[in-house]
Amino acid sequence: MDMNKALTISAAGLDAQTTRLRIIAENLANQDTTGSTPGAEPYRRKTVTFSNEMDRTLGVPTVHVRKVGKDKGDLPLRYDPGHPAADARGYVRTPNVNSFVEMMDMREAQRSYNANLSVMQITRGMLSRTIDMLK
Amino acid sequence: MRVRCGKGRTVMSSTTGSGTFGTTHVALLDLAEQRMAWTEQRQSVLAQNIANADTPGWQARDLSPFAAHLAAAGAAAPAGELAQTSPMHLAAPGGDAAHPATRLAERAPDGNAVSLDKELTRIAETETAHDLASDLYRKYLGLFRTAIGR
Repeated sequence: MDMNKALTISAAGLDAQTTRLRIIAENLANQDTTGSTPGAEPYRRKTVTFSNEMDRTLGVPTVHVRKVGKDKGDLPLRYDPGHPAADARGYVRTPNVNSFVEMMDMREAQRSYNANLSVMQITRGMLSRTIDMLK
Repeated sequence: MRVRCGKGRTVMSSTTGSGTFGTTHVALLDLAEQRMAWTEQRQSVLAQNIANADTPGWQARDLSPFAAHLAAAGAAAPAGELAQTSPMHLAAPGGDAAHPATRLAERAPDGNAVSLDKELTRIAETETAHDLASDLYRKYLGLFRTAIGR
């Protein structure tokens, strides 16, 4: 039935956005995570990509998180000679997490999540109206 | 198709020209049923658009309007569409009759062209259409109930 398919599709959308939010939370939590040995690699920002894959049991394509990758952007340097991760010149490599970017991404994830949720609510409403016809 | 009313009057109905018309087939109920089936299918197509609002390269899809769907019903399935002769068969990717929407939408750098607000508006439209169809169905059945005195 198409209604159940719509519910499955929206549920997959919710799931994908939840994973995205989790990754954003990881990025924000680790925005100050540096290495502990001189010149060590700090936390790198994680990225999420989505793709639409066929769900063979239901015969509908649903959205999935395809890959959680790492942001290959430059790591900012901070001058802090006393830090355990400082290199010979006294610079510490810090994570390439920008909290403003993460905040914007979070807003977007929230918006997508809400959209999926309202589709689900509307579909459920339609379903219950159809069932009400029996009464 | 004709609906026979009391005192020998006939009323033309606007359903498909398909098939036989017996006492068990009431044109309005048939039409409402088709309308609801169409809204359900459209709902799942639009749900896909919303779910893929962040998928790179995804373009919004939609069904053809109900009037076109109605005109095509009864005719043979158009060539080029996969026939599902068994429930075990996989559905054609992207839904049965869903096609890329021709509407213009802003395309993001990753190739995604879904406007969340527009899709939600369409979903609300579909819901209203479904409500109307199901209400009409109920009302019409209510008339029958009145006629048989229950």
